[in-house]
Amino acid sequence: MKQSSYGLVVLAGALFAMLPWLNMPAFWQSFLYIVFYWGVLAVSWNLFSGVSGYFSFGHGAFFGIGMYTVAYFCGHLEMPFLPILILAGFLAGLFGLGIGALVFRVHNVRGELFALLTLAVTFVIATVVLNTPIDGGPGVYLNSVVIPKFGPNIAATFYLMMLALLIVTMLAAIWIYSSKLGLGLSAIHDDEDAAEVMGVPTYRSKLVGLFISTYLAGMAGAIQALFVSYVTAPETFSITVPLFVVLMSVLGGTRHWAGPLLGAIVITGIQYFFTVGDSALMGKMILGLILIAVILFIPNGLLGNFARLRAKKNSQKIVETLKNIYIHSPNKEVQKPTSHVLLQTHGLSKSFSGVKALQNLDLEIYQGEILGLLGPNGSGKSTFINLISGHFAATSGQKIFQAKDITRLSAHEIAAQGITRTYQTPRPFNELTVLDNIRLVASYAGNTSLDEASELAYAALMQVGLENKADALPSDLNLHQRKFLEFARALAAKPKLLMLDEVLSGLTPSEIQSSVELIQKIRSQGTTILFVEHVMSAVMALADRIAVLNHGQLIAKGLPTEVMRNPEVMAAYLGKKVE
Amino acid sequence: MPSLNLLIQSAVSGVLLGGLYGLIGLGLGLSWGFLGQINLSHFAFVFLSAYLSFELVTKLGIDPLICLVIFPPIFFIIGVALHWLIRRFQITPFNSLLLTFGLTVIVEAFIQWIWTADFVKLQTSYGDKKAEVFGIYLPFAETMGFLIAILVAVMVHVVMKYTDLGKAVRAIAQDPKMATAFGIPQKRISLGIAGVCTALAGLAGVCLAMIYTLNPSQMYTWIGVVFAVVMLGGLGSSFGPLIAGIVIGVSEAITMVFINPSWAPIVSFSLLIALLLFRPGKL
Amino acid sequence: MLEIKNIQVAYGPATALWDVSLSVQPAELVCVVGPNAAGKTTLINAIAGLNPLVGGTMHFNGQDMAKLPAHQFCDAGIALVPESRRLFVEMSVLENLELGSYIARAKAQRAQTLEMVLELFPILKEKINQVSGALSGGQQQMVAIGRALMAKPKLLLLDEPSLGLAPSIVIDMFAAIKKVNQEGISVLLVEQNVSMALEIASRGYVLEEGRVVAEGVANELLNSPQIQKAYLGIHS
Repeated sequence: MKQSSYGLVVLAGALFAMLPWLNMPAFWQSFLYIVFYWGVLAVSWNLFSGVSGYFSFGHGAFFGIGMYTVAYFCGHLEMPFLPILILAGFLAGLFGLGIGALVFRVHNVRGELFALLTLAVTFVIATVVLNTPIDGGPGVYLNSVVIPKFGPNIAATFYLMMLALLIVTMLAAIWIYSSKLGLGLSAIHDDEDAAEVMGVPTYRSKLVGLFISTYLAGMAGAIQALFVSYVTAPETFSITVPLFVVLMSVLGGTRHWAGPLLGAIVITGIQYFFTVGDSALMGKMILGLILIAVILFIPNGLLGNFARLRAKKNSQKIVETLKNIYIHSPNKEVQKPTSHVLLQTHGLSKSFSGVKALQNLDLEIYQGEILGLLGPNGSGKSTFINLISGHFAATSGQKIFQAKDITRLSAHEIAAQGITRTYQTPRPFNELTVLDNIRLVASYAGNTSLDEASELAYAALMQVGLENKADALPSDLNLHQRKFLEFARALAAKPKLLMLDEVLSGLTPSEIQSSVELIQKIRSQGTTILFVEHVMSAVMALADRIAVLNHGQLIAKGLPTEVMRNPEVMAAYLGKKVE
Repeated sequence: MPSLNLLIQSAVSGVLLGGLYGLIGLGLGLSWGFLGQINLSHFAFVFLSAYLSFELVTKLGIDPLICLVIFPPIFFIIGVALHWLIRRFQITPFNSLLLTFGLTVIVEAFIQWIWTADFVKLQTSYGDKKAEVFGIYLPFAETMGFLIAILVAVMVHVVMKYTDLGKAVRAIAQDPKMATAFGIPQKRISLGIAGVCTALAGLAGVCLAMIYTLNPSQMYTWIGVVFAVVMLGGLGSSFGPLIAGIVIGVSEAITMVFINPSWAPIVSFSLLIALLLFRPGKL
Repeated sequence: MLEIKNIQVAYGPATALWDVSLSVQPAELVCVVGPNAAGKTTLINAIAGLNPLVGGTMHFNGQDMAKLPAHQFCDAGIALVPESRRLFVEMSVLENLELGSYIARAKAQRAQTLEMVLELFPILKEKINQVSGALSGGQQQMVAIGRALMAKPKLLLLDEPSLGLAPSIVIDMFAAIKKVNQEGISVLLVEQNVSMALEIASRGYVLEEGRVVAEGVANELLNSPQIQKAYLGIHS
């Protein structure tokens, strides 16, 4: 899929590159320059913001840094253009990295707050530029800078430089959309916390994406600076760049790599139509109206549906290839419970603003067993799973996994150790196909490439019986299938310990039966299982041992029938009679 | 070293200006706090109201104080209509940010189309009036704006704290389902809140017109200050934005005495960034 | 008074209740018990108007409730004490109680009802102006019940009032609920704590996996085999 896209871009680029030598009329050359320019800005914005959902309103800042790098070094210091062009990209990228490093550490700055913050950054940079020798107020003239010679004339040089940058940007976009990084960013868009728990290194991924995006924006600014040859702060840092890149991407579709380019072509066309007719303001109004109309009527953009189709087709192709070469070799070894300790907690406690959710829990899970974790509502069962998976940190106590202390590890590190969990209400990544959902987890948790993960993902799908739904989107599945998707996702990471949080709620009796069989099969193939459940028939059928919590404390553990006849357990469930 | 008199005058000007910041911020903060929406078009409405005041006063000779009375109801209706639209299309909170952004751009272009990018100033007999207290000047327009800001903040506070309606609004913000379970007509009240916030924008716009020379692109410079005011003062708070506005207004004014005034935007924007980084939840 | 026939209610993409029927007569105290995830909260929320019915009918005092908008249930005479209280935690005890009587017909009697509630839960008198989120669990539960009573309901719905409370407080709580019922208000109580619930109720239903698996007179239900199986998974 991506090979043909790369080829398409390079071919189109080569064709357009020939045009200056074919006596293209000046009007078209400058129109195309502007299309290329906005294409670079919009695509570079989208390959981070559109994919990850971190909509930056500050693209103008990085573009401006690029512009002013050239203005300062070439204009004031009279250095040659080409090396400064490279520098411009780096400076912009470094700024992006710096801001990202600070901002992504803060858990709540997402969505609207991120947009606000990046907008504020733009104005701060603008003010600094305006009030320091970088600009100082009057703007910077660049007419004395020597323009490199690439094409038959000066205009053609700019055309070719921007075209080259556009090709690079498009290739970067295609790469991101089909790579492990891009899939990780998409997952972050859908559900960042789940992504982190499933093994995606969210902090690192966002930084890389932002760097690429801002680097390219900086280079666009550098070329544009030389093109306009007179740089002023108000023009550079105005609301135009942030507005247009958002508008173009949203119009074209943020989920497709070509969306922003399509948006750039459409918007530039409309703009030209209006400036030619000397009603630039009318044009601006129309653009605002277009943004509103798109939000109201086609929130996924023009190519939004194409993006989905592309993802589906991709998954279908992978499945087709694997179907033929995959030979299901069932694990001959059937695992049984052992007395070897896999996970151990010592004095594990968790308080939430004074409320003790878990107190001093000492629990061991043996390799190969199925351990049921029971207790009335509010007894701390989900808290326990959340603590083990690293969703939040313990207030005190230790967690030891395979004789290693994992108490301080972050969620995605714990996933890499071999512990996975499912959620009570399934949390699939809604914009990813079923297959991609699993491939993502398999490749991150297992530290493999996406292609290697495809096999693991397919195997997991076969295990749960969802192989013919590989190209479906989670919204197409019913609850039972979504729960099995959760299973498959957990399995593809080949975990040593799998934690199931009320997977059976909401299922019909026959669905419960097939789930129970699946869980038994999973155990026999080598995964130790901890499950929280209320459907008692299933608990009795599945559990080797049971542990019961009440009010955050462990009150019983042992064989199922013994535990359930324990008077304290009976009282916890049925309540004490008033004497 | 600037004189004490200059410093005090600056501080006082900062306080008065801070009142206006607070007034603009109040509407924004109420809709953010109680409706969960970041309404960028709030600024557009403030400026639209400012320009309309200019138009009515300059072309029709209407007293600006009359505008103070007739604009809020008109803007109330606009606010209700906008919120109804957003609800009808079930737009996500983030998309409503984009949508209001689009609306702001439209209004800015519209303003520029009708009134051009030239600077315009409302000229009235009030323009030159000022009071003098202990050698410190209190210009009429700024002082009036400040007093209106205080009055409005008090009114909002009283309604929020002492009336059933105010309590219902707070309940809806905390737990809309439970509010509904006790008979609170959540949808109707939300429309009302949106209307009031926009009416406040209309009110602030008239004050703005009386104080400042207007220019369409100024809209965006106010965004930083007002957001900083709202975040510092607290979403949904009645006095918070006012107090935060005064704090920021005074800091800006004192800073400008010592440094070139064109550095002024940096104070509020940097503060905003710091707030977003260190206290990003509800304050 | 309350007649529910064959209702089906969804919870997200799943069906939480299949074909549930129950009734509550005037001044009756009825309980619904069952293990977790049986659908008890979904049932109570459906009766309160917060969960729409996918199938079946619900009538209250002859009025068809299925078509009624959610915010009119309170005026119809149904008040809810939800699971984990769900007080307006940033507001004071008094404000919570006032909001309970937001609707016009309750507002008219606000002062008297308030007095009655404070008689029922005297400790609230000294806490009346405190922020409700700062109160203990038991006190919060009292405020939640008080808030519902302020709405002057004909039917009071309680969703697991004993959750997270110490046993001694639970005893007082249930005594208060019994007292309320004796004043003539019908009560539908959903509980995990089976013995306490069946102690004060006259009739009970057992809900398991979204269906009613047993119903009957309260003191007969407690030792029934269905309860043992539903809660403990053991066949006695």
